[in-house]
Amino acid sequence: MRMNETEKELVAMVLAGRTEAFEPLVTPYRRPLVALAYRLTRDREEALEVAQEAFLRAFRSLGRYDVSRSFRNWLFQIAANEARDRMRRGARERAALEDAVHDGSRAPGPEAGREGQEVRADLMDCLSALTPREREVFVLRDIEELDIRETARALRCSSVSVRVNLSKARRKMRDAIRARHPHLEETR
Amino acid sequence: MTCSKARKLMALYAGGDLSERRTRAAGAHLDSCPACRKELEGYRRALARAKAAAGAEIAPDWSEGQWRALMARVMGDATKRKKEQAGRVKSVPRARWAAAAGAAAALVLAAVMLLQNGSGFRPGSVATAPGAAEPMAGVLGDPSAQDVVSVTLVSQETGLQVVWFFNRNFEWKGDRE
Repeated sequence: MRMNETEKELVAMVLAGRTEAFEPLVTPYRRPLVALAYRLTRDREEALEVAQEAFLRAFRSLGRYDVSRSFRNWLFQIAANEARDRMRRGARERAALEDAVHDGSRAPGPEAGREGQEVRADLMDCLSALTPREREVFVLRDIEELDIRETARALRCSSVSVRVNLSKARRKMRDAIRARHPHLEETR
Repeated sequence: MTCSKARKLMALYAGGDLSERRTRAAGAHLDSCPACRKELEGYRRALARAKAAAGAEIAPDWSEGQWRALMARVMGDATKRKKEQAGRVKSVPRARWAAAAGAAAALVLAAVMLLQNGSGFRPGSVATAPGAAEPMAGVLGDPSAQDVVSVTLVSQETGLQVVWFFNRNFEWKGDRE
């Protein structure tokens, strides 16, 4: 996904000193960025803080942004780095994951019915079974649909490393879903 | 390709993340192996479920007030940075002007004193700095020359110091770097 012309113009305006152009530039990514942060941190408050810091960092480093690249992916890279830094700094990850697993009410969804709830719980449960690196790779590649190269770039690692972690992550996700919902596996 | 090798590649194959060569090799094996196809289906279902779950998930979000506050913080950050940059730009010439003005004042003062006393530079009559470890070029025989005034000029950019010496009559007696 390449940067569109409107985004290019908005970036140029911000860099020329018209800072009011930053809001229309990032508003389309407001929810996607928080959602990404939430999937990586599994903590609602933490996710908002990660996203907020990511927007501030994006503003400060906009001069270094390579316009040949997708703006969305660049923002995702900043958010993923911020999430990782925070998780390294704090010891909140375990508590956040456990909260997410045991407190389904923290992520209510629009779907009614047992299967909808099960599906959402799957993601919560299964992501918690992954290592931080596997989760980053899985979320960026399989949920956010970045390609392998962009995922590697966002995580500052090699494509080989992405593939290795992605393979492990998918296997764990499949096993976790099988273990939790064997009836769904059988009926499809 | 053996089943064992094919299954190692299956997770990446399911998402289309193998190289062309490996994709072809794994595909050829899958065409002839129902067990591995079943394995592949397991991965594909898991991926589909994860994506569906992500789509159904309601992530947290800011209220409109919080979002406005965040954008205001960004704007505030920008204003602050602009001021800091402007401050840095202004402070440099101010310091240079101060140094230049100081040097010019010292030169004018020295010139005025020299003109008033009507004495020019006399290479053979250089004074000794008070407290200097060594006499400069020559020693004053006149006891009155012990009352010496010195003017020190310091370059803020290079750190170079020039000291001018005058006797009690403000007659210029020499210099030292």
